[in-house]
Amino acid sequence: MTHVEPGAAEPLVATRPASSPAVPASSARAVAAPADDWQSAFFTLDHGTATLAGALVGRVDRRWRLLAAAALPAGSNPDTLLGLLVDRLRSADPARAEAIGGGPGRGSEPLAAWPRLVATSVPAATLAVIAATERTRARLEEAAVGAGWNTVAGSAERTDPLALTRLATRPGVVALLVGVADPPDADERDLAAELAVAAAGIAARRPGMRIFLAGPVPEAPLLDAWRAPVIVRLPAPAGAPGELAASTLRAALAAARGGPDDSRRALAPVAGSLARVLGLRVEILEIGVSGAARVVASPSPADDGGIAASVQIVEVPDAALFRMDRPGSVDRIDYWFTQSLDRARLRDRLAELAVAPWSDLDADGALLRAAALRGAVERLLAATDPVLGHGGVDLVIGAGGAWSAVPAPAAAHIVADVVRRPGAVQVAIDHARLLGPIGTIADDAGRDALVAGLGEDLLLPLGTIVTPRGLRPNRPAGRLVLETGGARSEVELVAGGFTLVDLAPGASGTAELAFRGTTELGPRGRRFQVAVSGGLAGLLLDLRDIPLRLPERPDRRRELLGTWERALWPERDA
Amino acid sequence: MTGWLELVPARALIVPRPRIRLELQPGDRVTAVVGEAVHVGEVLAERIRDPRLVEAPVPRDGADQGIPLPGTWLPGEHALAGRRAGAPAGELLFEHGGRRRLASGPHPDRLHAPADGRVVDVEPGVALVLEIDGPGLAATELLGEPHWGRLVILPEESDPRLALDVALAGAVVVLPSRVDAEALARARAMGVRGAVVASLAERDRRDLAASSARQEAGLQRLAPFGVLVLGGYLRRVFAAAVRSTFDAASGAVVGLVGDPPLLLLPADRHLPLPEPDHIVVRGGPEAGREGRWLGPGGIRRVRGGITAETGLVALDDGRTVAIPIGELERFALVVANG
Repeated sequence: MTHVEPGAAEPLVATRPASSPAVPASSARAVAAPADDWQSAFFTLDHGTATLAGALVGRVDRRWRLLAAAALPAGSNPDTLLGLLVDRLRSADPARAEAIGGGPGRGSEPLAAWPRLVATSVPAATLAVIAATERTRARLEEAAVGAGWNTVAGSAERTDPLALTRLATRPGVVALLVGVADPPDADERDLAAELAVAAAGIAARRPGMRIFLAGPVPEAPLLDAWRAPVIVRLPAPAGAPGELAASTLRAALAAARGGPDDSRRALAPVAGSLARVLGLRVEILEIGVSGAARVVASPSPADDGGIAASVQIVEVPDAALFRMDRPGSVDRIDYWFTQSLDRARLRDRLAELAVAPWSDLDADGALLRAAALRGAVERLLAATDPVLGHGGVDLVIGAGGAWSAVPAPAAAHIVADVVRRPGAVQVAIDHARLLGPIGTIADDAGRDALVAGLGEDLLLPLGTIVTPRGLRPNRPAGRLVLETGGARSEVELVAGGFTLVDLAPGASGTAELAFRGTTELGPRGRRFQVAVSGGLAGLLLDLRDIPLRLPERPDRRRELLGTWERALWPERDA
Repeated sequence: MTGWLELVPARALIVPRPRIRLELQPGDRVTAVVGEAVHVGEVLAERIRDPRLVEAPVPRDGADQGIPLPGTWLPGEHALAGRRAGAPAGELLFEHGGRRRLASGPHPDRLHAPADGRVVDVEPGVALVLEIDGPGLAATELLGEPHWGRLVILPEESDPRLALDVALAGAVVVLPSRVDAEALARARAMGVRGAVVASLAERDRRDLAASSARQEAGLQRLAPFGVLVLGGYLRRVFAAAVRSTFDAASGAVVGLVGDPPLLLLPADRHLPLPEPDHIVVRGGPEAGREGRWLGPGGIRRVRGGITAETGLVALDDGRTVAIPIGELERFALVVANG
């Protein structure tokens, strides 16, 4: 493993400039990864469930730069999309296009010579989980859900063989997970063999169905079954509930589900690269139409003096953007929605968006997406906090198409509304959908070099959110002194709302916060000095309650939320 | 300029000779044979109602012809006084510990072929796969059960609650106007076998599902009834290409199936197909309008502050407008076998 020098001294979204031209390395997984010094440009493609995103990255002044990017609905032709990017570059900067080898030509044909980094989002498929006991079923199901599967589950302890067979053969089920503990619990020993025979009966009905055996489940009955099944041996379920992140079974199930180019899984390696390159604790909140994931990566000193990164990823299919089949999910979207809409109409519009995510783009359709995104992030955090914790990170990144469906400053507001943690955090979004494709590069050194080389083009900085806890609402809370680029400004703080300070992308500085009472901002105290960086939203001083308390009455709640929303999203009423 | 047409996502319109799956459950008794040609309305399987799990001892050596595989239909065995218990007829789930687990129960219902075709596969207790002779019109969802009937198109301005009467018994009706659960319940009560709608609201879907569940729980069930939804949940009109397909198939026997969701059309009708650059606007202020693709319209900001890639469309009313590509769709005229 190659390590990159830390950049912890600069708490900026932008990466350190690379000391030498960064060259992405070849990769066994990313077949078309740019590999040679002579390579002048490459494409990235992220095939999402709802969105096809493409980007053109080229070498400019011995650095990798993002030259063009676009997103279209899934189903659009990727070659045509890449051709559009090349055509745009030719129109905007013919000399640059010529320099990187994309000279005059017809625009609708992409250049075949340029390699492609491709990531594909794999929709959460349904896995039937059957176990001997309820205890083991719970552990298996937890691991499967954390690996991004939708599940239907039963145990021999509670469910008869006919019901188990019907459960595993219902439409949409693509794989079967049969498991017992290792060694089997006392009440599992007798049932393990019968479970294997029942699985064989299911396999005989479903040719081609993948069978995962976790723990000492005998496979002989399956091998005897009609139409040989595809059997994959997995580790037995281990550990207590809540040890999900470290589960080897979960990792194996995730690998079996997604494949090497799964864009959601690819966020884990690229988060590690970001942590190593930036020297920051990085959190990625990925929200998609077919699933969601949360990744936390922390840098740490490596044995060889460099920087290593520990990365944890948990997928949460239930946090998919428009998923409404869980109790209360529509209520939460209604809670965050700043327009009044009757419940039946709200359900219809959300259901339509689940079918056609790119429809209803304008007017209050964007507000509805923002509300759905808040609901999805809430579900994601609620499902992953017990595993990943809710400790402070330095940089929160919004990834997935959902974050690009609202204006960038509004995305910062969404993070502020839902990620309620005392402290200061930078916020950015993966605007060009580069993270997934870059994450498919298997080689850490090559990926780190590309992340460093792309620098500030990789992410769109939204700004810094500072969220103190312990202020008394609607009272003067203290004073902010912001020093940036030699300029100094002072702002009086009033608890209970937002204070927005312009801080342009690329700008950085120091914020000195002097509160009237003892306040929590990570540590507790009255005076704090925080390094801040700018972005499209600037510096957000979020002086609202933690957790956020909103009026119970819907009209008052909408009015208050609308006031905050309007501050960061003035076009919402246009 | 139409070289950029493929920026617009294509939606399937017609699927030639589709392969469809008819759902089975353990205990259903399949009467069709793989490779056999079937005609619309023919019985393919006897459906179990209220299946139950039965345990029976494995017969002594020689009593069976070989070792039955899971999914095999086993005839009933009579009890022999003082020697062994009998077993009802049923489908074998598996054998273990000298005992068989069977899915057994009465079979009062029938599964019929929804169109002419050929049986290509039987997955016992899971699905029966047919290859259909004619093409299928792509839809998004079938609510209810597969069925077939004569295609009747109701007038666009008609109120379905008034237009649906017993004269339509046995038909599959196209409902171009606003449809709700009440209209669908009336259609079912009038003996209509199925309905084709452009969209259906979530509340009406739930009402329909509840109505179907009540019917299934009853001793005297009504005939199967299916609602084929061509779009989503918000009110839409049928696209011109879809209306032309209905017109071409009007009066013929058509089928409704859910896996994949299709309206199965007769093989002998000529189906008019739209021009390749024909565009349908599926959302936004121009929703429902159609036109011709002119080319990319660049990145534009729409109401609400979102920026999106747009396309230029010459609408049928003579205007040329830039519309977000996400709001557009075109028809892939022929797609791979479903």
